[in-house]
Amino acid sequence: MGLELYRIDDRLIHGQVVVGWGQPLDVQFIVLVDDEVASSDWEQELYRMGVPPEMDVHFDSVDDAVMHLAKYQDDSRAGILLTGDIDTMVRLVTASGRVPTVNLGGIHHRPGRTQRLRYLFLSRDEEEQLKALATAGAEVTAQDVPAARALTLNEVLSGEGNR
Amino acid sequence: MTATPQLPWRTRAAIFVRFLAIQGSWNYETLVGNGIGFTIEPALRLLPGGIGGSAYRAALARQSQYFNAHPYMASFAVGALARAELEGVDPGKIERFRTALCGPLGATGDRLVWAAWLPLSVLCGILAFGIGAGAGRSVLAFLVTYNVGHLALRFWGLKVGYAEGLHVAKALGHPVFRVGPQWLARAGSLLAGLAIPLAIARGLGPVDPMVLGGLLVTAGLGGLGLARLHGRFEVWKWSLGVLSLVALAAMVRA
Amino acid sequence: MTPADIGVVAIIGGVLGLDVVSFPQAMLSRPIVACTVTAGFMGAGFQGLLLGVIVEAFALETLPVGASRYPEWGSSSAVGGALVATSASVTDGGMLMAVIATLATAWVGGWSMVQVRRLNAYWAGQRHDAVADGNRQVVTALQVAGMSADLVRGMLMTAAGLIIFSPLYALAMTRWSLDSSLTRWLLIAIAGTTAAGAVYTVFHTTAQTRWYFVAGLLAALVMLVVR
Repeated sequence: MGLELYRIDDRLIHGQVVVGWGQPLDVQFIVLVDDEVASSDWEQELYRMGVPPEMDVHFDSVDDAVMHLAKYQDDSRAGILLTGDIDTMVRLVTASGRVPTVNLGGIHHRPGRTQRLRYLFLSRDEEEQLKALATAGAEVTAQDVPAARALTLNEVLSGEGNR
Repeated sequence: MTATPQLPWRTRAAIFVRFLAIQGSWNYETLVGNGIGFTIEPALRLLPGGIGGSAYRAALARQSQYFNAHPYMASFAVGALARAELEGVDPGKIERFRTALCGPLGATGDRLVWAAWLPLSVLCGILAFGIGAGAGRSVLAFLVTYNVGHLALRFWGLKVGYAEGLHVAKALGHPVFRVGPQWLARAGSLLAGLAIPLAIARGLGPVDPMVLGGLLVTAGLGGLGLARLHGRFEVWKWSLGVLSLVALAAMVRA
Repeated sequence: MTPADIGVVAIIGGVLGLDVVSFPQAMLSRPIVACTVTAGFMGAGFQGLLLGVIVEAFALETLPVGASRYPEWGSSSAVGGALVATSASVTDGGMLMAVIATLATAWVGGWSMVQVRRLNAYWAGQRHDAVADGNRQVVTALQVAGMSADLVRGMLMTAAGLIIFSPLYALAMTRWSLDSSLTRWLLIAIAGTTAAGAVYTVFHTTAQTRWYFVAGLLAALVMLVVR
């Protein structure tokens, strides 16, 4: 148990997370790592509304998440850790040194980004960051929902998965 | 900020009809963004300068950008954003609010509608079939149940969204969203226990009770086993494969 | 089926396919409705309902959560519904083939929806500047174009499904060596297992649901025994 998924998804808490992954994995807590949301009460209130009342949500800055990560990983319940961008995940992985896998769940279109999968658009810098994550020891895969096949970083970057 | 204008009923009706087509141009870049612009457009005509005015064009451009939410729950966003635009709220604040609404509206709608109301309504239709209803009644049992909730949610979303504006998050704290999915899951479980065996029995027709019993036990244990796979396995695709092999064997041997 | 039949069913399939996402998403596209309505239109509503309930068991597993890819049940159910309505009664082999036709068309239909979404993205990208300028004609045109493309997609899926599966269905109706009872048992067992797994997955995270399920099951068993 503990953290079953370390996910990068710019939608943060949404249906795929709460229902798509939450129900089959029986997820009982979510750790949302985002410096801005961690300091914004109204955004926290909004995100809390998206999860069932029995599911805990922890809003952590990157520094707090690094401090609490071991506790989350040892939790007897299943949980998901979420970041809204690659940069935040890179900082977490680098500072904690204990994130084993990274799931690319949704990074959407923005000027400067190229489509790699139907739910994944990446800029050149972001691709380099993902390669660095893999070099740092995290297994990086892309998978929007549990029933989809997890695509390796190589498959993502080569465009093989975008068919 | 300017005073909030009343939304004329014609404008509300136009928005409501457009809700039904909100996902008409759904795509992987802006998702339902263009649909939000299309749906909110009748309200933006009330901005100073009217259709084609600078306020109207700026607001329509803003509202047609990337947006992601459950299609029915988008009505809460459209109501709230229409009010924010008509009150002249700072565009930066509107954009940040718009971004923050996406996830919660998506998660709430998926929990309430796709993962609770829809399966429950489907089970109503299957139960109707199981207890002997004909084609018309079985279809109506599903369609009426589902769409009473569906249309009420869209209607309520626009009303509450416009009434609450930037405070629409309060509406998401309503018991319908907080504990509604749990009660629907309980009702759905009760219906599933009732409907699936009855539908199986009717589908099988008059058979030896042992044959029916064997099938019910197979479905029950098989279903539990499949659920243990944690959704990592699309059963319907494998079922298609198995059924195709059965068909091939049955037709080749004939 | 005659070309005229295929044309009429393709229109029905197009409308039902449009309902899946684009308009009005009132779940007319669910198999229990779409199979029944299509078959009913051809004078065999009850055969359509039988098929619809079986396919619905599979559709329960594929809830449209998030922006993920899922099978397209609208036009595919029109294909299955039309097949089972081509004869006065359906053999068990025919019913199994109609289920295969519906599931296979739904699978390809899901892929075709992805292609329409890509087309929508292309159109939106081409008109990005006009949208960024708040041009209402362009915003409306994108919406109408997307819905039109989706309607055509559903019609093509239905026509293609009928053309491919009509001969296979006819073959299954006439050449089927497997015992009829066993065929039916297998089909319903697979559908029932899928439905049971799906409802467990979707409801089990809420406390006490298993007891509600057991209560429903007991009531069903009592009804089956006393009937």
